[in-house]
Amino acid sequence: MRPPPDQVPGIRKRLLGLLILPALVILIAGTVLDYVTSINPVDEAYDQQLVDGALAIAGHVRADPAGGATLELPNDAVSILRADSYDTVYFHVASLDGRFIAGDAGLPESRDAGSNPSRGTGEYRGAPIRMVTYRTNIAGAGPVAVTMAETLHKRALTRTRTLTRELATDLVQLLAVGVILWFGVRLALEPLGQVREQIARRSARALEPLPLESVPVEIRSIVEALNRLFATVRESSVAQRGFLESAAHQLRTPLAGIQAQLELMAADEPDVVRRERVLLILEGARRLTHTTQQLLTLARSDEATNLRWGFAEVDLAQTAEGVVADRLAAADLVGVDLGAQLKSARFSGVEWLLTEALGNLVNNAIAHTPAGGTVTVISGMAGGAPYLEVLDTGVGIPVEEREQVLERFYRASNARGMGTGLGLAIVMEVAQLHGAKVTIDAGPESLGTVVRMQFKAPGRPPAAVAELATGEMS
Amino acid sequence: MRVLIAEDDPLVGDAVKRALISASFAADLVTNAEAAKAAVFADSFDLMIVDIGLPRESGLELVRGLRVRGKLVPVLMLTARDGLEDRVAALDLGADDYMTKPFQVAELIARCRALIRRANAVASTQFSIGQLKLDVARKEATVGETVLELTNREWSILECLAMNLGHIVSKDKLMSSIASFTEDLTPNAVEVYVSRLRAKLGDAAVIRAVRGMGYRIDETAA
Repeated sequence: MRPPPDQVPGIRKRLLGLLILPALVILIAGTVLDYVTSINPVDEAYDQQLVDGALAIAGHVRADPAGGATLELPNDAVSILRADSYDTVYFHVASLDGRFIAGDAGLPESRDAGSNPSRGTGEYRGAPIRMVTYRTNIAGAGPVAVTMAETLHKRALTRTRTLTRELATDLVQLLAVGVILWFGVRLALEPLGQVREQIARRSARALEPLPLESVPVEIRSIVEALNRLFATVRESSVAQRGFLESAAHQLRTPLAGIQAQLELMAADEPDVVRRERVLLILEGARRLTHTTQQLLTLARSDEATNLRWGFAEVDLAQTAEGVVADRLAAADLVGVDLGAQLKSARFSGVEWLLTEALGNLVNNAIAHTPAGGTVTVISGMAGGAPYLEVLDTGVGIPVEEREQVLERFYRASNARGMGTGLGLAIVMEVAQLHGAKVTIDAGPESLGTVVRMQFKAPGRPPAAVAELATGEMS
Repeated sequence: MRVLIAEDDPLVGDAVKRALISASFAADLVTNAEAAKAAVFADSFDLMIVDIGLPRESGLELVRGLRVRGKLVPVLMLTARDGLEDRVAALDLGADDYMTKPFQVAELIARCRALIRRANAVASTQFSIGQLKLDVARKEATVGETVLELTNREWSILECLAMNLGHIVSKDKLMSSIASFTEDLTPNAVEVYVSRLRAKLGDAAVIRAVRGMGYRIDETAA
């Protein structure tokens, strides 16, 4: 019934997928954005230092008497300007037409004409540099370009540090979000699991409605639909019960009348030939009665299974005692020694159905045991679980037919008498209702038959047990 | 012995009436609860056989009504339904026994006899099993005119069996009925006393051993 779990992804998987993937994308985009926005101001600040340097140097460019320009900056000041723990700082002062005035010869200038000071990147002495060029007019000397540049170590280091910090933070965030989502989804789906548990724990034939209190809104309609279905089946079971009650009454009353009248006629009839005929009809009426009884029992045990009524504490020893006492006359009639070894075995069961089942087993045993043989009913507890056995010294059931005889209307090839083939089917029905296992074996020394009904240890919920027992029986 | 039958099905009612008459009872047949009540209050009956499924007022209601009004006549209920509910309901309401249709005529008659005997035994201390008569007050068993010579233990076992007529009495129970006479009894003491009893009873009644369960006293089969 259940689809293989790998074909349709579970709701939890879907939810996790749908939540975690977008969360991952958002977090990654956030990381990138954070990185970009935090790098720009840093670059800006470093550039500003270069601008400040360039402005400061420009402030010290003077016109020289030759009409050119010269840098009047003491060496100490230059050292301060060049001081940097990570990068090499360069500067260069030149006239606009490219005449070298001061600083590091050959340092490129930023050619960006759009702004002043203009910024740019270049390469100097084999290393990439960032540079700022400030163009200004020196009174008496004409325009000059002051370029301040530095290598990129500090900037690269800052980038790496920023990136690492961002990634670390985001990784922690991602983990946190993942864990929260995982637990959240799990918790959110808990009620689903509870409903599933409830359904799984029920017997396949249980019909009572599922409780709605703890069912989440989203699947309430499903559970309600299930409950409506249960109710319908239950109603039809109840209707069936009513029908069977009435059928039982309608069938048994005339049968009782016919049978009793025939018995009386047979007793009163002086004519031997006529009496024989009456007895034949009586035998037919009895068979009809028996079959009717068997069919009604089967139908009613079906419906007892559906409705689970009639369960009460029973003692198999007492049930067996009643059955043995009831069948003594029948056993005496065919010369079979019917006896018992009864030990108390209490559990929750439906007494009249157990009586019917055991009655059928004893009837079968008596019918298939030749005169002088014995039939013994045994009850007791084995390892805490009640059991019932009917042991006979009769013809036995062929090994290959032992499974089949439990089916409706099957009669063993060596069956005797006028059986309906329903007796053992009733035993099976009753066994299933009680979660019992029925086994058929040869008796001691391979003689006769022993049929055993092994019940479950009391205390377990019958629903779970019933499911186990319904297994692969037919 | 007069029996009132309340049964609406003519086939069954007629059969029960004939069966009772052929077993030398006097039998009256009514087909509904009203007629049954009228009959019970007009005449005295030793036993009533009541079908649960009477029309209008059910057999259960009829019996409850009679018990409420103080009628203690023994009642045997007949029903076409199986299941425990009806049986429990019937016995709770004051019925004395219960039979499921279809029944065997011989068993019906046996149950009727047992019910009447039980009702009488409550009143007196004497009752009978076939030809065997027991006087519990005098601890005396007679067959015909002959008083059986029984020892105390034999009497105790016979009494115990007779009190549970038609039911199997376990060996343990029989043991405890004679335990007060001797301190140490072996389990086969019961067997010894039962076999002596059988010899003394002769054909008057049958003590049947049921393997693994105990003993049961029955009337000798006709």
